[in-house]
Parts: sequence; C-alpha cells; structure tokens
Amino acid sequence: MSNSFHIVVCGGIVPDPLQTLEPVIGPNGPALKNELLLPHVLDPWAAHALYEAAHLAKAHAGSKVWLVSLASKAKLQQVMMTVAQRVPLELVAVDGPSGGFTDSFEVAAALAGAIEAIPGLDRTRLLLLGGWESASRAAGATMQMVGERLGITEQFQGVDELTVGEDGSLRILERVEGGQHQVSVCSGPPAVLGWATGNLPEPANSPQIGMQNMRLILPALQKAKAAQVGAGCTFANVALPKQQRETRMVKDTPVEEIAREIVEWIVAE
Amino acid sequence: MSETILLLAHTEADGSLSRLALETLAAAKSLGGALVVGLIGGDVQTAADSIAGCGAARFLSVAGEAFAESRYSTDAAAAEALVKAAQATIVIAPQTSRFARCMAGVAQRLGGRIDTHVTAIAEGPQITRWYYRQRMEAVIERAQRPWFLLVESGIAEPYPSRDREGAVAVEMLPVEVSSRTRVLGRQAPKAEQQTIRPDAKLLFVAGAGWTKKQADGAAHIDDAARLILGFLAATGASLGSSKSLVDLSGEGQAVLPFLSHMNQVGQTGSTPRHPKGLSTCCHGEEPHVVGWRFIRERRVINLDANCGWARGKADVLYVADAFAVMERVNALLAETAT
Amino acid sequence: MEVDIVCVGFGPATGGFLHTIAPKLAEMETPPTVICYERADGLAFGVSGVATRARGIRASFPELDPAQIPMAAPIREENLLYLLDPTGASRRSVPVRMLDGIAGIARDNHAVELPWIPGFLRKDGGLVLSIGQFNQWVSEQLMMTGAVQVWPGMPVAEPLIEKGAVVGVRLADQNGEPGMDIRAALTVVADGPVGPVGRRLDEHFGVPPDFERNDWAVGSKMVVELPSDCPLAPGTVYHTIGFPEPDIFGFFYVHPGNLASVGIFVPSWFDSPVRTSYRYLQHYMMHPFLWQYLKGGKLRSWGAKSLQESGRRGEPWLVGNGYARIGEGSGSTNVLSGSGVDEAWTTGVQLGESVLELMPEKAPYTSENLKRTYVRRRREGWLDQESRVAENARNGFQRGFLTGLIGMGLAGVTRGRVTVHANSRASQDRVQPVERYFGGRIPAAEIARIDKQCRTDGVPLHDRLMDRVGWPKIPFDGELLVSHQDALLIGGKVQGAAGFGDHVRFVDHELCELCRRRICLEMCSGEAIAPAKDGGAPVFDREKCVHCGACLWNCDNIQFAAGGGGLHSAEN
Repeated sequence: MSNSFHIVVCGGIVPDPLQTLEPVIGPNGPALKNELLLPHVLDPWAAHALYEAAHLAKAHAGSKVWLVSLASKAKLQQVMMTVAQRVPLELVAVDGPSGGFTDSFEVAAALAGAIEAIPGLDRTRLLLLGGWESASRAAGATMQMVGERLGITEQFQGVDELTVGEDGSLRILERVEGGQHQVSVCSGPPAVLGWATGNLPEPANSPQIGMQNMRLILPALQKAKAAQVGAGCTFANVALPKQQRETRMVKDTPVEEIAREIVEWIVAE
Repeated sequence: MSETILLLAHTEADGSLSRLALETLAAAKSLGGALVVGLIGGDVQTAADSIAGCGAARFLSVAGEAFAESRYSTDAAAAEALVKAAQATIVIAPQTSRFARCMAGVAQRLGGRIDTHVTAIAEGPQITRWYYRQRMEAVIERAQRPWFLLVESGIAEPYPSRDREGAVAVEMLPVEVSSRTRVLGRQAPKAEQQTIRPDAKLLFVAGAGWTKKQADGAAHIDDAARLILGFLAATGASLGSSKSLVDLSGEGQAVLPFLSHMNQVGQTGSTPRHPKGLSTCCHGEEPHVVGWRFIRERRVINLDANCGWARGKADVLYVADAFAVMERVNALLAETAT
Repeated sequence: MEVDIVCVGFGPATGGFLHTIAPKLAEMETPPTVICYERADGLAFGVSGVATRARGIRASFPELDPAQIPMAAPIREENLLYLLDPTGASRRSVPVRMLDGIAGIARDNHAVELPWIPGFLRKDGGLVLSIGQFNQWVSEQLMMTGAVQVWPGMPVAEPLIEKGAVVGVRLADQNGEPGMDIRAALTVVADGPVGPVGRRLDEHFGVPPDFERNDWAVGSKMVVELPSDCPLAPGTVYHTIGFPEPDIFGFFYVHPGNLASVGIFVPSWFDSPVRTSYRYLQHYMMHPFLWQYLKGGKLRSWGAKSLQESGRRGEPWLVGNGYARIGEGSGSTNVLSGSGVDEAWTTGVQLGESVLELMPEKAPYTSENLKRTYVRRRREGWLDQESRVAENARNGFQRGFLTGLIGMGLAGVTRGRVTVHANSRASQDRVQPVERYFGGRIPAAEIARIDKQCRTDGVPLHDRLMDRVGWPKIPFDGELLVSHQDALLIGGKVQGAAGFGDHVRFVDHELCELCRRRICLEMCSGEAIAPAKDGGAPVFDREKCVHCGACLWNCDNIQFAAGGGGLHSAEN
C-alpha cells in the first residue's frame, strides 16, 4: 500500500527575529512598533514544518503540500518571494493581522475555516503541520485548536522527527524535559504535528521551484478572504523587560589572571 | 471571587507531584475562590494524599493505565472531563511538556481560551505572560470562561506537600478513550554525549566565534571542540549555543558535531535555568540574550569590548581570546581536581 | 532553464524597466516570461540617500502620493551648509582655512547656511525616500500585475556568452551545487557599479574609448530615530560640505515618523590612506549643527555602498547582442547634482519602452535593434543631456577641494561648457603614503611606531591615527553612537547567507605580504577584512560584508564576486 499524504502546513509570518522589536499601545490594543517596515520571514518553526512537509511529500508519491497563512497580503507576498523558491507548495492565504497580540482562538477559527474550504482535501490522509510555538504569540496554542476544530485528536508537539512506516504508521519524536525526546507511534493520519526544528537543513533556492510556485501564488493572494481577528483580551500593560546590570569590563589583563578569576567563580558556591 | 478554580496536575512516573505542580497549586490557592483539584495519571491516590490539606473542596481524578502516559488523546479527554465535572471557570495547570501538548486543544473543545507561559497571577485575575519569545511581557485579563492558564516555575513558593496515607477521598471520573497512539518511551542521547544538563550549576554557551577564522587566517574547529568538551567534562556544565552556531551545524558544514538545535538558547531555542552562565565567542544579540533570563550570574569572554553583553546584559565581560582563556581554565580546573 | 527576459539586480533601474513593461505583458494572451534575480536576501535591503527630483519616477506614477510609500515625504525645505571644523582635526589647506575664516563670521553652531543653493543641486518638487522602502513598494506593485517575477536571495555570478552574444546568466553556486544557467533572449544587466555581471561584460566586450572609472565614493549612512522633541519637519533636506573633511560631502534628510537619514560620501579623491567611512560618519553626526537635532536619538540602521562618481565617463557599451545595461552600472548617475536613483529609474523606463517597441515587431534583441531603440532613447532624453553637462563637473576635485568646488560651480553655471581640467587617476594611484598624508602632523618615527603596534595588535591604523591628530574619541552610548561591530547588528544584522562561498578574495597573497599600505583594512565598510596574524593575505569574514564594493576600487589585488547575504535593514 503506498502512503500518500495531504499535508497542510499552517505558518504565520513574523518580523525577522534579529530586528529590534518594541511594543506600542494603539487604539486597537498593542502592536509592534513599525511592524510594516520590518522585514518579515515565515515563522521559524513553521518554516521547519514546511521543509519537513516537502521532504515527506517528495518521499511519498501522490502527496501534496498546502501552506495556509493568515497575514496581510502585502507582507505575505514579500515573504513568499523567499519561501516560494524553496519548496513546491500551494498557498492558501487569509488576509488579516499577523502580529503576536491576536488571540489564538480567533486565529485558529480563521485558519480552520480556510482549511475546510480547500477543494479536494482528503481528511483521512491529512497531516496538519505547523510550528509548535510561533515567534510572535509564542503560546503553542493555535495548532492544537485548529486540529480540534478539524476533529483531529492525535496531536504531537515539539516534534523533531517523523518516520513513516511501511504500514503507514507514524513514528514521532517529541521534545520533552531534560533534553530528551518522547517516542510515540500513531497508526496514521489524520494527525497534528507542531514542529520544533527537526533535522533538515534549509533547502537552497531553486529557480524552477520558484517559477512553478509563482503561477499559483498570485491568484491565491488575490482571492484571500479577509478575517476578523482581534486580541480577545484586555491588555493592562505591554513592555520590554528591564534587566540592566552593571557590566564590569576586564580589559588588557593577562589570560592567566582571567582564567584564575573564572575558575574561582565557577567553583564558588 | 465567584470563580471556580480547577488545579490540574499530572503525576510523575513515581506517582508524586512535581515541584512545578506544587507551585501551581500554591498559585491556584492564592487566587481565592472555590478550589477543586483534578489529577491525571496511572495512580493518583498518593499524589492526592500529599496535598490533602490544600483546602480544595473536591478532589477529582481520571486515572488508569491509559492515563499514565503523556498523550494528547487521552490527556485531552481526561482534562475535558475534569473541567466539566468541576464546572471550572479558571483552569490552572503547570507548563509541562505533557500539558503544553494538549491544554490548548481542551480549551478549544470547551469553548474557552488559553494563555501559556504565565509567569505571574495577580488579583483580577490578571496574568503576566510573554510575547515574541520572551522579548515582551504583558499583563492581561480575559472575560471568556473557562480560562486556561499554564504556569511557569517560579510563579510561587511550592505548596508544602506531605507524605500521608488515605487522607483524601478522590472522585474517579470514568472516561472512555480510544487512541491511535502508543507511547514507546523516552529517548535520550547517550550519557556521555548528552550535553544538555538542566540541573547543572553552570551553563556554558558557545557562540559562532569558535568556528570563525582566527587571527592566523584559519579556523580551529578541532581545538574549539577539544576546549568546549574538555570544559564540560571538567565542570559538568550544560552546553548551550547561539542560533548561528547551531545553524552552521545544520548546513552540513563540518562544525561542532556534538551540537544540535536542542542546544540553542534564546530565539527559538530554550530558556534554561542555571545559577551561573559563561558565554564565549558570542556577541550577545537580543534574541539570543532573552534566553538568558533565568541565568543569575553572567560572565562573558569576547574579543569585542563593545559587544552586546557589555551594555548591561552581563556581570563581567572579559575582553580576551576565548581559545587562550579556556585553555588555561581547563588546565587550572584539572589542577584543582587533582 | 529558459525564459524570455532575465534581469540582473533589482534596484530603481530594474524597477523602472519592469514597471514599464508589466502592464502590457499582463494584457497579453501568452506573455513572455520575465524574471529578475536579486542578490540581496530581500528587495528592501538597498542603501542610498535619497533626495530626488523624481522626474522619471513621477512620470511613471502620475498619481503618486508619497504617503503610500513608507518613509517618503515631499521635499519642503532645502538647505546647503558649509560646516566648519570644531575639532581642529581635519586636514584643511590654506585656501580652505581662509574660507573657514570668512565663513566663520556668519557662523552659528559651527555652520554657515549658504544663502542660495545652485540650481543643479536643488531638488524642487522632489521626494525624500528610503530606497529600501521604495524598491519594496515598487516590487509590490509589480507582483500584483502577475506579469513578472522577482526573486531575492539569488546572486547572479556571470553572464553566459556564446559567439559574441549574451545568451543568459549563470546563478551563483550554492550549497556546493553549481549555479543554474538561465537562458534568455534578452539579459538586462542592472547590477550596479560593482556588480560582477556588468564587470564581466566590460572585460569580455571591452569598453568605449575614453571610458574611465577612476572616481568613486563610499556612501555610508545611518537611519536615526530622532528625539521626540526634534523640531524638524519631514521633507527637510540639508546638503553639507566642509566637515568631517573638506572632501567629504554629507547629507541629512528628514523622513516622516520621526526618522532621518544622515550620511556622508567618502570619495576616492580624498587621498587619506586610512579613509574609513564609519568613524567619519560618527564625527559627522556629532558636528554641533547636526548634533543639536540628533542628540538623544537612536540608531535604527546603517548601511554603505559604492557610488560610481565618473558618471558619463564611466558609461560602458550600453548594448550588445542579447543584452542591455541600465542603471548606475551603465553610468547613469549625474555627478553634478549627485543624483542617481531617478536617473537609474529613467534608464529602466527607456529600455522598457524599447522592449515594448521591439516585441510586436518580433525583432530579436540584437545590438542593432537595441541601439536604434534603447540607445536612441537614452541619447535623446534629458538624462543624457544633463549627464553631458555633468560629465566633467567633478574634475576639479582631482586637484583639491576648492578647485573641485569651483569646477562644479563653473560646470553648473555654464551647463558644462566650462570645466576644470584634470587628469584623473585610479584611486590606487592617488592615495598617499601614510607618512606623506600625515606629514607635518605626525613625525614619521611616530607613525612607524603606531604602525608596528597596530600590526602587532591586528587592528587597522585609522583609529589611532585619527586619535593622534586630534579627532576626539567617540563617546559610545549604545543608542546612537555605537561601535562599528554593533552597527552591523542593528536593523536586523548583517548576515552571511547560508551556502555561499567567500565572495571577496585576495588574488596574489605574496603581494599582500609585501603591501605596506593595507588600505583594504582601513576602508572596509563592515570591518569584514581584517589583518592576518602572521602577515600574508588578510582574512575575510562573510558575515560582516555589506557588499559595498569599496575593496574593489581601492585595490587591484582584490576579487569581488557574487554572493548572498549583507544588510537586513529595510529602512536604508
């Protein structure tokens, strides 16, 4: 029996993590300062999920990969210029806010709605992949909620490895405490996998994949429905944590002296 | 307050409650309101007895072999049953990997809302949680119920549990589950290869500078590996890394073979808790440094006196060559040991 | 892979080209495939001033409302300042000192506002822009048409040349895999003044007689978040001369949202052998006139790029069989007005119109056809006319700052008929030995000592020599005044993209061993070039390189190829 999957990857977009992030409180609640100016990337762990999806699809003929994303069309388009060169995918875009201050429940509703509307999606072969936690809301909640809305009760989070057995079973490694992994076997799809980093390297840019993907990406963006997604709660305060130490600088000091001081510090109680 | 607070906890392998679970219980109590305890596990009596005096109006549980394992389908069904039976308006549970896996799904199932990585709970209730991977902190309140909270350690002093026997009458809820998932167990890197040691007194962070070309124009990967591993062996420290260094390992470059993404601190990596941290060859950018939030004493070795650490992120910055310093540090540690 | 048209580089020139052809392509039943490959990891990562008259841009966007483009503002006020030197450290000739004396009478905050701005400098009706935000905005408009594709993160290594024609391009190798060949009927080369494809074409096909690219500059700038009480309104423009060195021009433009661009041009005719742009930029910001507005501000981003200052003299063959060149790499920058963005855009439009003319004819993209369409348009337009006026405008600077100013003035006023004559020399040939440049200010013996110490410590000379002649130490505050290395981390961090090899290489290592001058260490915008411990070729760190190309024109022994990575700021 050949295993083929319908793999739906949910991925938001976030500011490139190396940008400076600051919150501002506006009339609609908190937001990121200059959010629209900041270069965005596909959410890092969701990106890993996407690469795993592509890897899986390649290994299992007849599989297909969709990327479902809730974001402003303009920003999503920019991110696609990079992502679309990496793996074959079909984009399902939902037009809405991509910031971290939106409510996971509401976002999950929008994403699940978009997934349910995918024509030809075979729920019995569905693997719902995403990032375990986003780099924005960072709560680890949305994927579970989307899964629940789609009736999927086999779910895994912090995934680093998925191996498909001959019989279609899924052997999954999830991160747990102490740097260890829990090993489970699920009989097969449907299942939700919220990925950590996995083990695959970032695929190189491919002009052919880019060209192939681009044909469908623009129509997908054009027909993106708007989603109303709010904060779902009241913010009393949002701030950057203040942690300032008095840094003592040790310069122009012999290596021996530095080493001694460090060893003293290490062994002290 | 008119809320019904359900404390959800799962038992450890030996039937006890973890320290984090006890902290969560203390936090739940601090809210006031009617308290109900809900326990999930293989056998929960010992756990229930240990917190018999906590002031809970009821002790509920879902127990049995199916619930001994950490698994979404069974845990979600168990939690759902407990929340319904308790008629909870607020559900508080520890942020363990087991509950992080399923609690949001349970919230969805019950039409509630969830906030995770909660670091403080105040009157209201108002909670404090992180956004943007711990780069921002927010205080929020919610109107919707049930409201699920997964709380981080450090939220409160743990409730003082006591070994007791037969102290509590636990209501067992019958829960039917069919699951398509079998848990096979845990997998850890071999002991000597395991570089992540959560209980270590010191976190040693290696940055990308270890693999860069040095002043003689060549990279010294072998020396870097020897020095880092030597230090870990001598001190039992836990090994962390910056994102750039683990990314290099992922590119298939011959970098430091004992490093993986699991070692990454900050950004999309971990936020370990160690009393001391020593950062080497790492510039101290904000996305990485956020991972150091819980490291109390911080020292850094970096050739750049103006690196990010220098401005209030570390206690001491040694402007020096890490290769040279660690060579001497390892030698001195060897002397101290003998 | 085969396409119809491939473009190398996405900047204002390619923006103009694609913007012109896209609407027509979108109407076609079976449109040709048009793809652009851009080296940088994002389309918003370019660096430039920008204060532009925007004639070409406005012609392309008749309904343009600057409010649609982030960081754009109409220019409301322009000022030209002569800055005096409050530190006494800059190197000023006797005539310049005299000028300082005269100017000093009217000064305020060590600056004199000139009562009138020469017409050739004025940007009336123009715009202040962030080139990154502008390019990104243009790309959004383009992508919406669905007619063209633009791919960032794809450096192009070289053109494919067969039988005297360009038949496409080869992408850079990545992850050990050879770069793919993209074959195309037309290759549009828009990779700027230091782009490898343009330079390879020059090598292969030769250059016009009188072609010369001796004059360059490093433009180095910062985007600063102004203190909240700053009184300057968006669209305020300052052009400055005189400080930090007479040869270094500067600019200060105010954007909406409390942001400002502040930068300098360190030119190849500034003969200091330790001409570092970063520290000079910091001194520039701290000039009392600017500092009154900048103090208390926050650094948002920093970037640098090379400008080709030979203008029209640096125009290569514009077309050939299968290819056409547009943008700064085609010599479009006007070196009198110091403007390049709108000019580059216009060359793109001109090529776009030409392609639209040739397409229905089904005419092949031969040298002849491109000459009769593109080159003709180029010669007939305002761009070329003004470029001719500007052609010799900067000659005077070869001989000195004041001569240069006079020469520019003359060229401007006589519309190019009267210019100062000077033989231009390549940068490497003009740069003075350290002893000569600092002669009279630092004894040779002391220079030798400092040099030896710097070699031992493995650092460039510039900081110590600048300290020694009286430049004050920069008071780092971690907010606006940060170390050079810290600047690389701001605005998203300078990055070395995964999978690419070193794109800067030293050709003859023995030459490096013998080199006394080591100007590469001094002028590298990102400190990506560092001395090797035991002599020999310097060490290159890809993670610090912003691809400014300064190394290319400062030293013949350096190869500067295609590579990924660089700046990750969208605000420059």
